[in-house]
Amino acid sequence: MKQSNEAFWWSLFSAGGVAAALFLPAIVVLTGFVLPFAEGDTATRHEQLRELIGWWPVRVLLMLVISLSFFHCAHRMRHLLMDFGVRSTPLLLAVVFYAGAITGTVATVVVISRL
Amino acid sequence: MRPRPPEPPTRTWFMRTTAYRLFMIREFTSVFLAGYLIFLLVLLARVGEGPQPFESLLVTLRSPISIILHVLVLLAALYHAVTWFNLTPRIMPVRLGEERLPDAVVAIAAGYLPWIVVSLAIGWAVLG
Amino acid sequence: MSASNGAAAQTTEESLEARMADKTITLEVFRYDPAAGGDPTFQRYDVPYRSDWVVLDALNWIKDTTDGSLTFRWSCRMGVCGSCGMMVNGLPKLTCSTFLKDYYPDPLRIEPLANFPVQRDLVIEFDGFVEKLKSIKPWLIRNDQRDPADGELRQTPKQLAQYKQYTMCINCMLCYSACPEYAFIPGFIGPAAIALAQRYNLDSRDQGQAERRKLLGVQEAVWECTFVGECSAVCPKHVDPAAAIQQAKVTSTIDWYKRFLMPWGKK
Ligand code: SF4
Ligand code: FES
Repeated sequence: MKQSNEAFWWSLFSAGGVAAALFLPAIVVLTGFVLPFAEGDTATRHEQLRELIGWWPVRVLLMLVISLSFFHCAHRMRHLLMDFGVRSTPLLLAVVFYAGAITGTVATVVVISRL
Repeated sequence: MRPRPPEPPTRTWFMRTTAYRLFMIREFTSVFLAGYLIFLLVLLARVGEGPQPFESLLVTLRSPISIILHVLVLLAALYHAVTWFNLTPRIMPVRLGEERLPDAVVAIAAGYLPWIVVSLAIGWAVLG
Repeated sequence: MSASNGAAAQTTEESLEARMADKTITLEVFRYDPAAGGDPTFQRYDVPYRSDWVVLDALNWIKDTTDGSLTFRWSCRMGVCGSCGMMVNGLPKLTCSTFLKDYYPDPLRIEPLANFPVQRDLVIEFDGFVEKLKSIKPWLIRNDQRDPADGELRQTPKQLAQYKQYTMCINCMLCYSACPEYAFIPGFIGPAAIALAQRYNLDSRDQGQAERRKLLGVQEAVWECTFVGECSAVCPKHVDPAAAIQQAKVTSTIDWYKRFLMPWGKK
């Protein structure tokens, strides 16, 4: 009986779902509504931010959250298309979306390690 | 006398009931979140480039289009979070002996409380 | 005195009945005749409205008084046998527990359960469903060749509580009608069958988990599900088959990682 590998992608989807639910709302509020309108000197703010993101536990956490969220979104978008009736090329869909998430992960690692 | 085969789903099957529509909205939040993740990477890269690019980034963030997009993404993120936490107790029910802990208790303990803690921690780390 | 009182009572009763008889409710019923073939039609019936009538009462009234050819299934009339499921205004319902008063005065559209082949009128074919139930081995599997004469297998209330919810299923198939993934993939084992698998997997007396978990790990078992959750919303017995599927996904995922990390482990 061929066991499906969907289990693997589903585990990433789930972990990403938790990460996105816990972290993204607060981050969105920060980038959208708090940081752009915060009082005070931008140069100091920038310095503080850099310091924060430069700290390795924060880096690791950011990488995890962003990468897992990419997998979460990829999995959902793949199934969303299938729910819209795109059912003729399931393998292609899976490859495109998970390759997207892998690319996102590589980009995340590159961006964050350069900070 | 052959039975009549079932009707295949229509293209707009999810418009048939409110529950289906809400399901599709839940799944659609991923599109907004994916877009935001890409934007977040650009933003992080900008922060790394120095104070000048960061300054111009802040100007972009103050534009109406940025605010509108952020409102949409925030709604998507909140809808994702709330639906996610509400479904968690059914995926991982907690039993104490014969009784099953009420779903609300599990949702709060495993979802909403950590959510508040993490959100406060992020706010404190960035602004505090 | 008493005679006139009786007469008065009679007239009120009569006028009440007359008034009740005036009130009708319209049922638009799906008709399909396999001998004639062709497309199904919708036939309108005006049925007397009674506030304590369920949809099944109205269908039986039609069959008894106006159209004996209307075909549908029912048995217990009390939500136990699971044979009276139909689509009522597009939602899967047990028609013996669905009251006309919740729809009156609007007309009702009655169709056979969605996602199943239709044999005639409101009667669907459930052979595929029964096959799926059977495929997950819904019986206690024992490795020890026990004989009933050896006595009963005992179980604590706590052990019973682990799976009791999943024993409540009445095989009404409403969950399959509510499931959009099943509509796309008729091969999907589906909500009730997976809930049934969990019913045995979580039973302390059962020893067939390993076998059944392999059955659940294939694509057409738990992995077609996207947790729409409508199966659980329409289930008349609060089985929550959607939760059963997600829990099976969790165990299936653990199995996947075990196989992946320890391929030499026991199969
Ligand atoms: S799980 Fe609920 S809806 Fe599905 S067949 Fe059983 S009783 Fe009916
Ligand atoms: S007639 Fe038995 S469940 Fe409705």
